[in-house]
Amino acid sequence: MNNSVDKNKNQIDLPVVKSDSKPSHWRSLDEYNNTSADNQLKVKANEFAEGAENFDIGSKSKVSRRKFMALMSASSAMVMAACTDYRDKGEIVPYAVKPEEVIPGVANYYASTLTSDGSGQGILVKAREGRPILLEGNPQHPISKGKLDSNGIARILDMYDPSRLQRPRKLQGSKLVDSDWKVVDKEIIQALNSASNSGKEIAIFTGKIVSPTYAKLIEDFKVKYPTTKVYSFDLFNDNNKQKGWNKSTGGTNYPLLDLDKASVILSIDSDFLGTDGNVNENIRQFMTNRDFENPTSYSRFYQVEGSYTLTGSNADYRLRLTPENYLDVVASLVNHFASKQGKPTMSGFKSLESLAKENKWKHEAASKLLSDLESNRGKAIVIGGKQLSVDLHVAINYLNDLIGASELYRKSESDFRAVNLSTDEEIANLANDVKSGKVAVLINIDINPTYHLPHHFTADNLKKVKTVVSLNEFENETTQNSNYVLGINHDIESWGDAKIRTGVISTQQPVIAPLYDTRQREAVLLNWINGGENYTEDIYHKYLQSNWETNIYPSLGRSVPFKEFWFATLHDGVTTFNETSIVSTEVNSGSISGIKPTNKSNYTVILQENYFIRDGRYAGNGFLQESAHPITKITWDNCAMISPATAKELKVEIGDMIEVVLNGKAIDLPVLIQPGMAEKVVAVDLGYGRLNSGPIASGYDGDQVGFDVTPFMTSKGLSKWIYTGATVKPTGNKYTLIATQEHHALDDEFLITEVRKNPEGEVTGGGETFARARSIIQETTVGHYIENPKILKEHGHDVFSITKDFEYNNMKWAMSIDMNKCIGCNACSIACYVENNIPVVGKEEVGVGREMGWIRIDRYYEGSPEDPIMSNQPMLCQHCDNAPCENVCPVVATTHSQDGLNQMVYNRCVGTRYCGNNCPYKVRRFNFFDFRDNLANGYYKTESTKIMMNPEVTIRARGVMEKCTFCVQRISQARQNAKEDGRTLKGSDVTTACQDACPANAIEFGNANDKDSRVAMMREHNLGYHVLDYLNVKPNVTYLAKLRNSDSLGVKSEHH
Amino acid sequence: MSTIDYTKNEVNVQGTRSLKEIDDLIVAPLDRIPNMKFFIAIGITSTMLLIGVIGLALSFYYGTGLWGNNNPVGWALPIVNFVFWVGIGHAGTLISAILFLLRQRWRNGIARFAEAMTIFAVITAVIFPIIHTGRPWVAAVYLLPYPNQHAVWVNFNSPLLWDVFAVSTYFTVSLVFWYVGLIPDFAVLRDRTTSKIKKVIYSIFSLGWRFSNRHWQHYEMTYLILAGLATPLVLSVHTIVSFDFAVSILPGWHTTIFPPYFVAGAIFSGFAMVQNSLIVIRKVFDMDDLIPLKTLETMNKIILLTGTMVGYAYSMEFFIAWYSGSQPEYFTFVNRAFGPYSWAYWTMFSCNVFIPQLFWIKKVRTSIVPMFIIAIFVNIGMWFERFVIVITSLSRDFLPSSWAYYRPTMVDFAILIGSFGLFFTCVLLFTRFLPSIAIAEIKAVSEGAQPSHHGGEDHE
Repeated sequence: MNNSVDKNKNQIDLPVVKSDSKPSHWRSLDEYNNTSADNQLKVKANEFAEGAENFDIGSKSKVSRRKFMALMSASSAMVMAACTDYRDKGEIVPYAVKPEEVIPGVANYYASTLTSDGSGQGILVKAREGRPILLEGNPQHPISKGKLDSNGIARILDMYDPSRLQRPRKLQGSKLVDSDWKVVDKEIIQALNSASNSGKEIAIFTGKIVSPTYAKLIEDFKVKYPTTKVYSFDLFNDNNKQKGWNKSTGGTNYPLLDLDKASVILSIDSDFLGTDGNVNENIRQFMTNRDFENPTSYSRFYQVEGSYTLTGSNADYRLRLTPENYLDVVASLVNHFASKQGKPTMSGFKSLESLAKENKWKHEAASKLLSDLESNRGKAIVIGGKQLSVDLHVAINYLNDLIGASELYRKSESDFRAVNLSTDEEIANLANDVKSGKVAVLINIDINPTYHLPHHFTADNLKKVKTVVSLNEFENETTQNSNYVLGINHDIESWGDAKIRTGVISTQQPVIAPLYDTRQREAVLLNWINGGENYTEDIYHKYLQSNWETNIYPSLGRSVPFKEFWFATLHDGVTTFNETSIVSTEVNSGSISGIKPTNKSNYTVILQENYFIRDGRYAGNGFLQESAHPITKITWDNCAMISPATAKELKVEIGDMIEVVLNGKAIDLPVLIQPGMAEKVVAVDLGYGRLNSGPIASGYDGDQVGFDVTPFMTSKGLSKWIYTGATVKPTGNKYTLIATQEHHALDDEFLITEVRKNPEGEVTGGGETFARARSIIQETTVGHYIENPKILKEHGHDVFSITKDFEYNNMKWAMSIDMNKCIGCNACSIACYVENNIPVVGKEEVGVGREMGWIRIDRYYEGSPEDPIMSNQPMLCQHCDNAPCENVCPVVATTHSQDGLNQMVYNRCVGTRYCGNNCPYKVRRFNFFDFRDNLANGYYKTESTKIMMNPEVTIRARGVMEKCTFCVQRISQARQNAKEDGRTLKGSDVTTACQDACPANAIEFGNANDKDSRVAMMREHNLGYHVLDYLNVKPNVTYLAKLRNSDSLGVKSEHH
Repeated sequence: MSTIDYTKNEVNVQGTRSLKEIDDLIVAPLDRIPNMKFFIAIGITSTMLLIGVIGLALSFYYGTGLWGNNNPVGWALPIVNFVFWVGIGHAGTLISAILFLLRQRWRNGIARFAEAMTIFAVITAVIFPIIHTGRPWVAAVYLLPYPNQHAVWVNFNSPLLWDVFAVSTYFTVSLVFWYVGLIPDFAVLRDRTTSKIKKVIYSIFSLGWRFSNRHWQHYEMTYLILAGLATPLVLSVHTIVSFDFAVSILPGWHTTIFPPYFVAGAIFSGFAMVQNSLIVIRKVFDMDDLIPLKTLETMNKIILLTGTMVGYAYSMEFFIAWYSGSQPEYFTFVNRAFGPYSWAYWTMFSCNVFIPQLFWIKKVRTSIVPMFIIAIFVNIGMWFERFVIVITSLSRDFLPSSWAYYRPTMVDFAILIGSFGLFFTCVLLFTRFLPSIAIAEIKAVSEGAQPSHHGGEDHE
């Protein structure tokens, strides 16, 4: 090396410069004088090295080295520029100071509680890099046990909703204008002071309160402003049930039930699997005795109802009945048992037999009900819906006493109410005070009186109140009649606590700083108590903590110091302790005296709670609007459900408008013909027809989202939710109802196959529903199954492949769905929307069949249109071994993994939709538009909704196909964790989003090759079947056939 | 009843014209400035084309969601149009290749035009598989098997890919075949023209053709070989298009009868379209003699034959669906005939099976107006056949829960109109820029062109 360097050095030191010498031979003077530009250049070049002049790059190429470098760098830059993804314009900035617990790419979970909806459900908030992206149930919470209802799951979307109130607003002239907390606080405190000084009423009008600390805060408020009165309102309250219990026993709290110990359940129009009571707990307990592995202890469930509810669809015997006759059912049962026990009876009621005949119940239903109640003393229970009249509840309490149901009353715990709900009379008083100008300041906290109480809190009435303050997350009907509209925090931006049960108290902690200039409702009140000075963000946090320290913690009798206890409780999200609950069970038999039968007159109107929109609170939530109603499959609307016979009588079809007149109030509603409804009953969901509440709740592009029926709610009904004596007539107008499932002409009788006969005229087959004939739904009765466990396998057929099947040697992902447990609630679907960044497409697009859900609940009827049985079926990608979608894709955009997943390669997909066509389950979903952009002018395509996206799941572009991935991102995460821990991945390491969400644990997921796993067991089980198995596509979702605890299945299709 | 005199050559061209007169007659439209009628016609067709272009532009900008397609009905009008236009493209090659091999000399007058229609129909058709995809800009690339560093290959199992090959092969061979037939005519044009520019263009395309004996020998041989090559393609293209459906597992698509049924249907609709267009052409350009009624009658007979074959296929499909005992299969066919799309089914059935039966009547198949109307019905019927196959099967398949009714949108129709616009604009331009009748071939069947023992005196 040295040598060469030296040599080079020599060469450099001794340049051969010939510029001075003249050539001996020359061709021109220029050459002789050596003056040509060319030579001059050469001279310069020779300055460096000998021989360099011989290497003339110009002779090789026209491009100089410099030029080459320039071109190279320019083209490299261009290539780099071309390679940048045009969609990815974001910056990735590392943490300057990394928060201790945040690791990029790893999710954190925080335990908290939902308090604003009054449910008090324990939740886990999944956060990625500080952004909450998913809500799940808190597994440590003793009531919900890791489950969260549909509303709770979808609640994450509210947090990022573009139409959230982002700062305080105040009325100026006739318009609400943005303001400042300092200004509004000052003005409101002035108003409060002047009201309390002049002795005028300050009304706090709030929703259901579950937080003991919040309750204490309100007491503090009352101390500061002594003229304050508090009213608490819930549209779907259980006041009647409470009152009934009080009348029967003198107790204050009706008891909780041990449904898991019940063998016979008779529900009188209680939607306890859908809306009534603590639904997650009800489902869990109810399903304990609906276990296909334990068929002998299978419970029997009777549902008496006039509408068609989710709970009714799960009944073994669904006894349709107009609500006026509910009392007759209870009374005739009471009489049966009371006369035997020599106790008071109820007279003047119809007998069970005559009701059975009138309503064409299954012939054995009535007698079976009687004998079941009789032979299951202590294990039978009658549940009354919370919407029923006080009289009915009294009668039901008495009946329960007669059949010994008090053994199923839970003694250890009871419901807890931090603040009792106001009675209807109290609300009416408030309304009168408002009307008469007695109220100087009305503070609406997370409530919407103009919408919920349209007779009382009209815009004109509210004008009589000097200062109307509304604390809400969103604009609504009331905010536009308010002087001050204060944006409040979402649940996961707030501190708090909740106590809905004795012995359990849960905590709420914020997971993210408020996105906007909003405050949590408690902090707003606290600030007013403090006089509005020195507001800091943590004032309520401190208040909460000190309340726990001084009031709650001492009563729990913990030995650990408060600080440790506090942080441990925050970590767990919940703490339990011993608390005695007093449950009175002594039923006063005299309470039934004076209960008279109700007579049916004309049409009966049932106003029911919608499973997703609830009282209208969630009308602005796209996930919930787009969720198909579990029974009607209608999205983005409510409708008047009527029976087929009633429709015939009215001469109306689906989508025809009818005018319903009730107590002089007329509302036009679109008809939905719902098989199984009681005759002359009109059932309508509340919560729709919202105004001034953003494009999702109130519609966009001139569309309307449902119809407001709250004006029907008066005190003149059987209860606030059931009215008799309505008149109905068709208006001749039409309305487009959008459903995710086609409503077939009812003449089809739910698509029955041709009846096959032999030459002698005997029926040899056929006459089955399509669902059954095509092996979509398989069901049998408990009796048949116990008799012959292989009953469903007998008519199987062998299918074989002519090619060699791929062998799955290690993992093979598979799912099983227990149809005995699935109630059709749609929680799985909503969880999937959140987990997998599925877009909301809007009413119009659902109308043309473009909803994007990866898992849907299919609904099939069997039997007669008057009284059918309904079967639900969650349908998702079946990840078939012989997937028909895979071989037809021309660009290999859908492939099969070695562990049995049917995969989509979005980048490769060109969108031929051939895969979707060839999928027999029709579970593939195509991005016809950039749906986020398409919905309401890009409503969900904003900066805020972007933050909500699960970073592990690709946002699909327009023009590509998508479908269920079996939550492949969770599988990858689990695999990565297993690798880090140095163990082999197990099927049980992974749970899918739908599985986590399922309140009944109907979904199992795991490794089919692991013979010890539940999934493998279910695949081999006698009740396990694959949908459309004869196609030999070898699906990997196993369905467990539903057992119905009745003598027979549908009327037409007794299983062969 | 007249008896046929087999000692005479059949008359494929009426009247006696000198070869020069034939040249003049056929080339006339190329030389004169078109009249108002032509401009009105092309004004209409290009407006239709523009409507289609607007429809497409909107679809590209907003997405395929502007169409009526939904989740069960992934394929709809674009695929219907594709199969329809590929079908139209069948008559050309059949006439020029198969009938050539079978020495059906009546074809000489119509072969050129039919082939041109094939080319334009296939051009129109191939637009659809590309534009119907969700991401046409990548579809146009990803569907081609090109080597790349990702080592991502196309899926040779997919019938859609077979389509790519079948249609592109068909198009290439048809184009070459058409061009080879055009070479002597280009030479005629070159020799006749007085315009310098045209002379250059014609010279290039006539490849130095000098009407020499050797040229003719090579030409005839090339033409024969190409005809031999093109013949299986006539059968294969629509067979493979039918595989798009037959290879799937969907009831109503998964049918072994599809290949022959599709080919018959394609020839059926192709002939109807050629017949329609020729009737217009021969009237407008006074070529009644070159395309005599007898040729049209022969075509009508083929329409009758293939129409009946299609009718047989419809009935056999139905029978097999019942005979199979497969409930979904049987339901699909019952649903076609009596379900929500029964209007489409019965439109298809009457247009394709009942109406062509009128061609049994000689008077009908030899009268211009009735045959023209019947052929229009055939085309309507064949469009509906594809509609029925594609849409009824998809809209109600295995799971009743996913059934949905499909309705086309305005954009769907705009694109359909645009496809007709494109096709007819091309046809109109063709009649102005190239000889619509093969000059060389028509001369071969003209009076006195072939040696005859009657000494050329046997004509009326």
